[in-house]
Amino acid sequence: MKNRLKVLRAGKNWSQADLANALSVSRQTINAIETEKYDPSLPLAMKMARLFGEPVEQIFELES
Amino acid sequence: MTETAVSPALPRTNPRLALITWGALYFAARAVLESAETPWVRVAISLAPLPAFIWFLRDFIRGLRGLDELERRIQLEALAVAFPLTMVLIMTLGLVQVAIPLSLDDWSYRHIWPFLFVFYLAGLTLARRRYQ
Repeated sequence: MKNRLKVLRAGKNWSQADLANALSVSRQTINAIETEKYDPSLPLAMKMARLFGEPVEQIFELES
Repeated sequence: MTETAVSPALPRTNPRLALITWGALYFAARAVLESAETPWVRVAISLAPLPAFIWFLRDFIRGLRGLDELERRIQLEALAVAFPLTMVLIMTLGLVQVAIPLSLDDWSYRHIWPFLFVFYLAGLTLARRRYQ
């Protein structure tokens, strides 16, 4: 699954650690999601969507 | 695992301390068993490390519940490597034992458990590397 997490995070001027803190996950989790090695659970994806004020489908895109 | 990944609602756990205690009791039991002669004393000594193991298991599971979702997946993948490899080792050893007589001093159940830790650590390393 592709995502725009890195772009959104950069837009807020947050480090991976800042975002990890805001979402109560480890920095490693944020890094793995940004590098598309790990797809987050639905609750975590929705938390991200709420944090960035964007719909989930604007952050994550299913690869065909 | 970072501090942020741990839910503040969960009780504090110390699986490392429990593991060290369990290990120390296990090796102490093995050493004491060399000199104990009465059968019921020998059995009691053999069972002595079990409470520390239960402590370790409780803290390990509580620790898992406090991890974030990626770390939980990493732990699952580590166990998914360690469990079948240990099972294959036990089954193969069992077959070899049927095929040829093995010396209990060289190969027995007490020699197998360290492999579980080796396989678990190997699985953990592989899983961590995968998500780095």
